[in-house]
Amino acid sequence: MKKNNLTTKLQLAIFALIALLTFSCTTDFINVDANQETESALTADRAPELVNAIYNSLLQWEMSSFAWTGITSIASDDADKGSIPSDTGADKGQLDQLDITPTLISVAEVWRGHYNGIQRANQAINRISQFDMDPVLQQRLIGEARFLRALFYFRLVQTYGGVPLIENVTSADQIDADLLTRKSKAECYAFIEADLDFAIENLPLKSEYPPSELGRATQGAAQTLLAKVSMYQEKWTEALQLTNDVIASQEYQLTDNYEDIWKESFENGPESIFEIQSRGVMPAAGVDKYSTIQGVRGESGWGWGFNTPSQDLIDTYTADDERMDATIIFPGETLFDGRQISPNVPNIGYNQKAYSSILTEAEITGKNVRLLRYAEVLLINAEARSILGGDVATPLNQIRLRAGLTPATDLSTQAIWEERRLEMAFEHDRYFDLVRQGRAAQVLNAKGIPFVQGKHEVFPIPQEQIDLSDGALVQNPNY
Amino acid sequence: MKLNTTFFLLLIAIVWGQNLLAQTLISGQITDQNNLPLFGATVVVLETNTGTQTDLEGNFSLEASAGQTLSISYVGYTTQQITVDQRSTYQIQLQEDVAALETVVVVGYGTQKKAILTSSVAQVDGEELAREPVLNATQALQGKAAGVNIIASDAPGAASNVIIRGLGTVQGGRDPLYVVDGVLTDNINNINTSDIESVNVLKDAASLAIYGNRGANGVVIVTTKRGRTGKIKINADAYYGFRDILTEVEMANASEYVIYSNEALRRDYLTDNDPTNDNSTFGFIPTDQVYDTNWLDEITQIGLMSNVNVSASGGSDVVKAFFSAGFNEERGVLLNNDFNRLTLRSNVDYEIGKKFDFSHRVGIQLATGTPQDYSLFTSAYKQAPIVPVRDENGAFGSSVELNSVANPVVGASNAFKEDKNKFFKIQGAFKFDYDLLEELTFTSRFSIETEYGRFYAFRDRLGLFLAQNPSNTASSFEGDLENPANTRLTVTHTNTYRWFLDNYFTYDKTFADKHTINATLGITAEESQSEFLSATRNNVPLDSNLNFNLNTGDEDDTQLNAGAISVKDRLYSYIARVNYDFEDKYLFGGSFRRDGSSKFQEGNQFGNFYALSAGWVITEEEFMEGSVFDILKLRGSYGELGNQNVPLNVLTATTGAAGFYAFGPNQDLQQGITITGTIQEDLTWEKTNEFNVGVEFTLLDYRFSGEIDAYQRTNTNATLQIDLPDIVGFDPFNSHVGEIQNTGVEVALNWKDDINEDLKYQLGLNFSYNKNEITKVTNPFFLEQLGGFINNGQYTKKIAVGQPLGSFFLYDVEGINEDGDLVYKDLNEDGVIDERDRAFFGSYIPKFYGNFNLGLQYKQFDFNVDTYFNVGNKVYNGKKAQRFGNENIEEIEFNSRYTTGRPSNTTPRAFNDVPLSSTYYLEDGDFLRINNITLGYTVPLPEDSFLKNARFYATAKNPIIFQKFSGFTPELPGAPLGSAGIELDAYPTLRSFFIGLNASF
Repeated sequence: MKKNNLTTKLQLAIFALIALLTFSCTTDFINVDANQETESALTADRAPELVNAIYNSLLQWEMSSFAWTGITSIASDDADKGSIPSDTGADKGQLDQLDITPTLISVAEVWRGHYNGIQRANQAINRISQFDMDPVLQQRLIGEARFLRALFYFRLVQTYGGVPLIENVTSADQIDADLLTRKSKAECYAFIEADLDFAIENLPLKSEYPPSELGRATQGAAQTLLAKVSMYQEKWTEALQLTNDVIASQEYQLTDNYEDIWKESFENGPESIFEIQSRGVMPAAGVDKYSTIQGVRGESGWGWGFNTPSQDLIDTYTADDERMDATIIFPGETLFDGRQISPNVPNIGYNQKAYSSILTEAEITGKNVRLLRYAEVLLINAEARSILGGDVATPLNQIRLRAGLTPATDLSTQAIWEERRLEMAFEHDRYFDLVRQGRAAQVLNAKGIPFVQGKHEVFPIPQEQIDLSDGALVQNPNY
Repeated sequence: MKLNTTFFLLLIAIVWGQNLLAQTLISGQITDQNNLPLFGATVVVLETNTGTQTDLEGNFSLEASAGQTLSISYVGYTTQQITVDQRSTYQIQLQEDVAALETVVVVGYGTQKKAILTSSVAQVDGEELAREPVLNATQALQGKAAGVNIIASDAPGAASNVIIRGLGTVQGGRDPLYVVDGVLTDNINNINTSDIESVNVLKDAASLAIYGNRGANGVVIVTTKRGRTGKIKINADAYYGFRDILTEVEMANASEYVIYSNEALRRDYLTDNDPTNDNSTFGFIPTDQVYDTNWLDEITQIGLMSNVNVSASGGSDVVKAFFSAGFNEERGVLLNNDFNRLTLRSNVDYEIGKKFDFSHRVGIQLATGTPQDYSLFTSAYKQAPIVPVRDENGAFGSSVELNSVANPVVGASNAFKEDKNKFFKIQGAFKFDYDLLEELTFTSRFSIETEYGRFYAFRDRLGLFLAQNPSNTASSFEGDLENPANTRLTVTHTNTYRWFLDNYFTYDKTFADKHTINATLGITAEESQSEFLSATRNNVPLDSNLNFNLNTGDEDDTQLNAGAISVKDRLYSYIARVNYDFEDKYLFGGSFRRDGSSKFQEGNQFGNFYALSAGWVITEEEFMEGSVFDILKLRGSYGELGNQNVPLNVLTATTGAAGFYAFGPNQDLQQGITITGTIQEDLTWEKTNEFNVGVEFTLLDYRFSGEIDAYQRTNTNATLQIDLPDIVGFDPFNSHVGEIQNTGVEVALNWKDDINEDLKYQLGLNFSYNKNEITKVTNPFFLEQLGGFINNGQYTKKIAVGQPLGSFFLYDVEGINEDGDLVYKDLNEDGVIDERDRAFFGSYIPKFYGNFNLGLQYKQFDFNVDTYFNVGNKVYNGKKAQRFGNENIEEIEFNSRYTTGRPSNTTPRAFNDVPLSSTYYLEDGDFLRINNITLGYTVPLPEDSFLKNARFYATAKNPIIFQKFSGFTPELPGAPLGSAGIELDAYPTLRSFFIGLNASF
């Protein structure tokens, strides 16, 4: 019996041992490798990729598509909501009527989309500065990132006025009331100018980039954007100098035929200074539904039919202005690529500048959105000259002649504004342009659009963000 | 056993020698109540302590003298004693010991006696589940266990939502853990209900703590049938039935539709800003319509379901085997939607040595299904009756000029698509038991599970494009691309595997007849991983024989391939449990699990989970002698559980489509990479603590029994999303910032009586109450996630402190104004109706639910009725609310609408706008449904018949529902922030009628 007991104990011990040794090293067993790239992947050789990811944010819906179109275009006198009466596009009908509240989804999306882009830019700038790498490439990449950050902040200032300036946040613990507080418009402009000055200094000319890098921010793009930023601050001397520099660089020229500018074959054409590179073929990397939301609706159509030209815009073109037909798709029209538009489509017209001849029905069409082009350089140049004194006719008439018009007889600032409207219709400029010119109330009220002075110069800060900030973020007046 | 037999033989020899003269040889046969021989039953002469066991035929013979007592015992049967008389042969029938079967409860890594159990475990007998003619075992479980809320769908092959004691998590996994014969798994869709011996639902911390960081959502333990000793018994069960939609919604007919739409159109013209439109008749629908299509009829048919199960069970004292095969075929009520399933099971127990047992449990499922898009039900609801299925030229009717609804028959038919899903799942557990001592057993179990899914989706894209709109032409397809994707085939393969290794000791001993200790101690390890691979080719031939073959498509770069493999999920755990009782009267229990999980970051991988419990069997006290109670037990428990099924907290770099960008004249993609957020490094499992008190009783000679439990379970660190202010530009991330509480009461009562030999009956009632609430949030940036989107830009649900999960967040409709428009309440009284005027109006999760059932047996007839009810929840009429313009309306909406001549205070005027999400579309979800009525007749058979048992039965499943909801069904499973409780693209509840035959031989 004693022996039996011993055997049992031995058996017990063996079993316990087997059980315990099945996995001798517990922590090794449960430490498994990740299957995705994490922060450790962000090394110096991936510096260009960090910058590419900022460009990618230009493709996002919130940055460039429905909300941005609503605020910059549908809200203005150039465009109506469009679509069909029952399809409100969430809040696009309200934008069209300037029935604007802090809870509109477009107001929230533009805010979020741009700050997401700024986060990517901040991250690239901060990480790349710390990399040990080729200093020339390093400075160029930081220059590109700062150009894009300036672009995002400029669009935020246009939309909301002064906004919080975020340079580097890496953890949730850094969030305090100071960070959330809005800076003045002047502080924001100073920040934007510093970014653009750095970009001008460090970015190559368009012609200096190898062909494979076509589409990256150039010195010319930074100069043009800074000229526009200067114009918004009425810094006319700077605006004139910068546009003179762009003209003198001989990097750009007007495209002969206005309509060609928005055709696929003229992407990154001679007039292009900066445009969003959209790739439609799989794997697609294009501006999300940019063409879809503005595509012709109904019979023969392919899109949602928003952002349609107003009768007022159509009426403003003179009979021989080639830009009208190049800007607007009319019902019953046969487009340049042979596409027939049914005469029965709803609305009086559609935005041709958003039309993609290729992959028309796709949600991502490959339509490059032209953000800065040489014609605008000439217009800023002309406007600066009209104020500072100088030869307005040379820049202005280049625009007019290309449009099939006669040389200008009226060289006033007012006349340049009108030219600018027709030249740049549907290029996300009109609403802010009217505010900049200080005549938004006068122009819009005359057309029955209830613009309220002291309120509608800027859009409201998203209510949800004000609530989240616990009062640190202050609403714009009268909202 | 061999030793025992030798011992007995020896004894017999000795006894024989002593009492040779008085002994005579007697023999006999032992059978069960169906007269099947019982092999291995023990027959003992009590006076002499001599005994034997029955052979394969149930026969025995031994020496006994008249006047002595024979005791016949067999596991699972009531022990019988008979007095030996002058007869030399005996025919003895043993009765199955129902009470004895019920006394054992299956718990984690072992079993426990119900009488001394100190935790809350609901037990459902497999026979009760098998009575439900449903494919999915969880659907059969509906209403059968208190505290288990099951929202089921009648869609072919669909799984149900199972919520045990309320939802305790937002971001984490909500489903209970299923344990099938020791295999821890996600669902029991692969288990044939007739293979189930019992289902045990573990509900309180005392029973759940042994499952550690997967216990927080409750555990459902499924035990499959095992072979019984004796001759092979074959059982066959077959039923066949048909089904249709239980509740249909009456839609407006063609002329009503035209009137309504034109009223709405006129209204649009009057309210837009173009005065020239006011007298326009452009766009009005002509009143002389040719067609009046009932779209629901066009896309549905009578559903059919058939089921055949065959099982064989039998064994000797060394091998006991159970085998079953089940085949189920279902044709859905929606066209081209079916599901077929074959299940095979082999469960065998081997006795290898006197101390060494081995067993295996292996189940295989093969299933194929044709999936269908349930948004077709919404399209059928919305499509205008004036649109023909096919026009006079035979082309599919199109409504492009009216509305944006597709022709439902185009989608329901296989004209432009073909789909097939196939599943293969194998699940097996292999277990060794070794008795180290009489009271100490070592168990080692290895289990595996692997599931393969194959999904084929063929689309005739050009055909569909042409059918959608008569003005579409082949040349306008895909923007006149050079090589358009006229057809497209996508094939996806998925695989998931998991394995487990469990090693544990079980100790069971009673000291001095008073102190009983039952303990378990062990280690388990497991791993799981899943992957998928998906490939697409364009321009696969239209020929249906070829169209699942990827190689027949274009070989260019238009195909898209995708695949991913998950991170290995590993756990390494220590388990322990001790139960002690003093004279079956004072009961104490403790259980513990230490889980190390690979899901979390180093330093935060190990967690300890435990529970303590105690019970008092009052009826064991002397003062209770002679009381009305047979059993009265009080018990209570407290413990801490975890839910490791929370989102991963790895800060991944964003690449691919969210990072790349095209540069250069050829728009070549360059990679991009960025980090779009931050994480909480120490994120771990969610911790839930749970208090439970319960009382169990049986009285009036075991006729009336019941169990009442009250609990409070608190998820103290619920994972919620943190959304920092947008200026930071970070994606929302997860953090432990919430507290979610469920408080409830469960009652289960049962009355069972045999009035006489011929008439027996049973009544059962269970109901559960649960209050759910997010009680606390500790971070100001907690994201009040929105949900319940109904695809028209409107959302319906939101998560917020002080509200139950799944709450609807809507505009409050006050009434209808003089223009016939809905008037919304201006909650914040700022004169504007906007987002800030929304309020909470309750959750889709019921506060009360339960079941009432009645069973009757009269002579050869048996009759069962089962009802299920659900009270105190809300459902949203999503299909009605998802309006854009010119969709059809319900007849009642048409009849009661506001018109100029006839104001209405219930229904707005005709309109064609996207309506705001409001209480106008929110309805009470209360219902009472007759779940099942079954009538059976057992054929009386002669004793020597080849057939041992034959029963015919007829079942009506869901014949009647009493519901407040005006839609098709108030039973709407889904995710809490998703489609749950919203009738949109939902499968209707069906009523079914079956006839069946059950035979054994």
